[in-house]
Amino acid sequence: MDYFFDYTSQITNQFIDPKKRVFLFYILISILIATAWFMINKKLSLKKTLIKIFDKKIFFSKSAKSDYKIFLINQLIMMIVSPFLITQLTIATALYFYFHTIDWLSAGMFVGIAKIYIILSFTIFQFTIDDFSKYIVHRFMHKWPVLWALHKVHHSATVLTPMTVFRTHPLEGIIFSLRSAITQAIGISIFFYLFGNLVSLYTIVGVNIFVFVFNILGSNLRHSHIGIRYWKWLEYIFISPAQHQLHHSIAFEHHDKNFGAALAIWDWLFGSLHHSVEFETLHLGIKKNQHDATHNLKNLYLDPIHEIKKHIFNKIKKIKNKFNKIILKGRYINEV
Amino acid sequence: MKKFLISIITSLFTLGFAYSTFADGHKVYGPYPITLKGYDGDKTNSVKYTGQMARQVLHDSLKALVKSGDVAKMMAYYNGEDNLEIIAPKSKDDFKIKQTMVSEIGSGNLSGKTYKGAIAGWGNLTGPEVLEHMMNKAGEVEGGFDPNTGFDYTQLISKFAMGAVFYNQAANNYLGKKMEIGQKPNSEPYKEGSYYTGKEHSWDEAFGYWGSAAHALTLSAEQNYNVAKRKDMSSADFNGDGVVDLYSEYTFAHAYYASSYDKSGKTNYLATVNQAFIDGRQVITDANGRNLNFDERTKLLAQRDIIVDNWQKVIAESVFKYAGSTYKDIVALEIIIEANGDTSDAFRTYAKHWGELKGFALALQCGPENLGETAVKLNRMMGLGPVLLNASQVVGIDSNGNFIKDQAQDWNEFKLHMLKIQKLMVDEFGVVAKAKDQLGDMEALAGSMGSADSAEND
Repeated sequence: MDYFFDYTSQITNQFIDPKKRVFLFYILISILIATAWFMINKKLSLKKTLIKIFDKKIFFSKSAKSDYKIFLINQLIMMIVSPFLITQLTIATALYFYFHTIDWLSAGMFVGIAKIYIILSFTIFQFTIDDFSKYIVHRFMHKWPVLWALHKVHHSATVLTPMTVFRTHPLEGIIFSLRSAITQAIGISIFFYLFGNLVSLYTIVGVNIFVFVFNILGSNLRHSHIGIRYWKWLEYIFISPAQHQLHHSIAFEHHDKNFGAALAIWDWLFGSLHHSVEFETLHLGIKKNQHDATHNLKNLYLDPIHEIKKHIFNKIKKIKNKFNKIILKGRYINEV
Repeated sequence: MKKFLISIITSLFTLGFAYSTFADGHKVYGPYPITLKGYDGDKTNSVKYTGQMARQVLHDSLKALVKSGDVAKMMAYYNGEDNLEIIAPKSKDDFKIKQTMVSEIGSGNLSGKTYKGAIAGWGNLTGPEVLEHMMNKAGEVEGGFDPNTGFDYTQLISKFAMGAVFYNQAANNYLGKKMEIGQKPNSEPYKEGSYYTGKEHSWDEAFGYWGSAAHALTLSAEQNYNVAKRKDMSSADFNGDGVVDLYSEYTFAHAYYASSYDKSGKTNYLATVNQAFIDGRQVITDANGRNLNFDERTKLLAQRDIIVDNWQKVIAESVFKYAGSTYKDIVALEIIIEANGDTSDAFRTYAKHWGELKGFALALQCGPENLGETAVKLNRMMGLGPVLLNASQVVGIDSNGNFIKDQAQDWNEFKLHMLKIQKLMVDEFGVVAKAKDQLGDMEALAGSMGSADSAEND
């Protein structure tokens, strides 16, 4: 009974905790932004706008339905797994201990600096390092075959809804948790070591102010059919919803573009930036004529495992072959 | 009908009365009836732990004496000689203490009851040798403090003695060995001619070593704490005779430290231990002078485990606290050194806190549990002596009892060790109060950022 209560409260929490992406207030703001965009930019009537936003074909599509199911299943899996994951505090403590062994550093060496600068720099640092680590990890998820096998689950969505953020393989979820724990630990330990207990975050309703701003600027529209585009110059700095939608496109020229979460500068710096295009021109998913079966839960959860297994076996086989070749060659030489 | 009503009301009253006396009886340790079979004397209360309370006073007095450097006088209290005046605690303002001589409470010594095993953290001397060595060394320096080694003997002697005598005697002997089957049976007098049984008296003696007032459960943690600080006469004077009886109305030793942590509201050590003492004593009393059966023994040992476990935690909390204080002192020292300031006061504070840390850490190793690796880590990390400002440190004791000094641990590493000691206390003993937690703020910061686990794709 306790577990059931924990489970339901964890699910509810996703919608009532401002630290979470699908916090209902953020969803509401996203709806308002979408409404304004359709009415002003696309000159649609309110009725048409609402029909467009709450498109039944999208929210009740096979793809979206599997998003909802994955959400419910993953919450349960994470509830069981998360106590075994290393926490940010464990890593932060280890780093904090390590800093003590560095001669040119001393604990609280900058405690004299005004608190406002410390809090401001910590808030910016935390947001930036978090966003950058998301970029890096995301890039690897696409470039490494083993990781791509997992990340493909997310890209197999043929429609995008705010719930698509949860369309994630649980093993990928573990990678994301580790990423988050490590980046938080880096910020916490460095700042706490240098500035002591003066460190805190600028927050709004308990959330990093920058994360809050990112969310009320319509973060939920990234995974949606509402292709809001920014001015070209702005898309060098912040990823527009349309830029992220393009990331989900199957077109060859859109492959491995726009890995960023909030900031576009990482894509710009590392050559993976692509400006947005009209949403209607995009075809979403992993390949043309994608099978409906790709939305089956069994496939979504197990295919990546099979694929990884196959990949590893192939690698081992290749190494074996190479090894055999070298040995055989050696024997041949010996015999001759 | 009327008769029926009267009988109901009467029985309710009787029940209520019985309940209130029952409840009250369970909040104060003693008196408990005589249960010894065949006893025909005029005693009515089987509780007696006068020797333990005398030792509490001997310890407090010895602690006060260290700074005098008078070794003969220290030895007199250590050996519990006759006609000793109580040096501490003494009356203060309106806090009037009943006794002025140790013998008014009881008789006993510290020397005979000190942990006999080797103390790895102090040159492998035995417990009594450690105390004697410390007292002799205290006699060689001014005010109980040696700036050349950083040893604050007042702290070292007091904190170690509390563990080596009180915790050791209670946990290893009275609640340990003497609770075993066949040892001090409940069907026989404790000693020939005693009016209390073997088990009754063993349990009572352990309670005396714990050091709390008999009525501690009727007070809040704050009140128990203030009694030890001689600031709360009304809380101390339970029988209302206008004086504080050091036998049953005062907070000593580890009970005092328990109250200091419980004050934070995070722990409840004092009440937990006192309740366990009372519940365990009730099991013995209920056996009414016969040997305990399996069920009673199980119940009694469950209470014993609660006591020993919480007692150990109180000492571990103290190690945690003083490791934190030492860390802060080192940071403060570093700032002064950087600014070329006068370090003498800051160094004295640092040495005091390190002395408390060392004393409690040695005390922790006098319990029934072999701490193994934890003890090794603890002793190595804090060192035999504190790191001194000239980068030297006491590293050993030669066969003549002289300290051997050598190059110290790296200053930064030593500072880090204080944090590791705090972590060790959390990991190994599950301390909760965490006074002077040097990582607490970081923990709070991490908490404010929320959990990192989320299966979300951005």
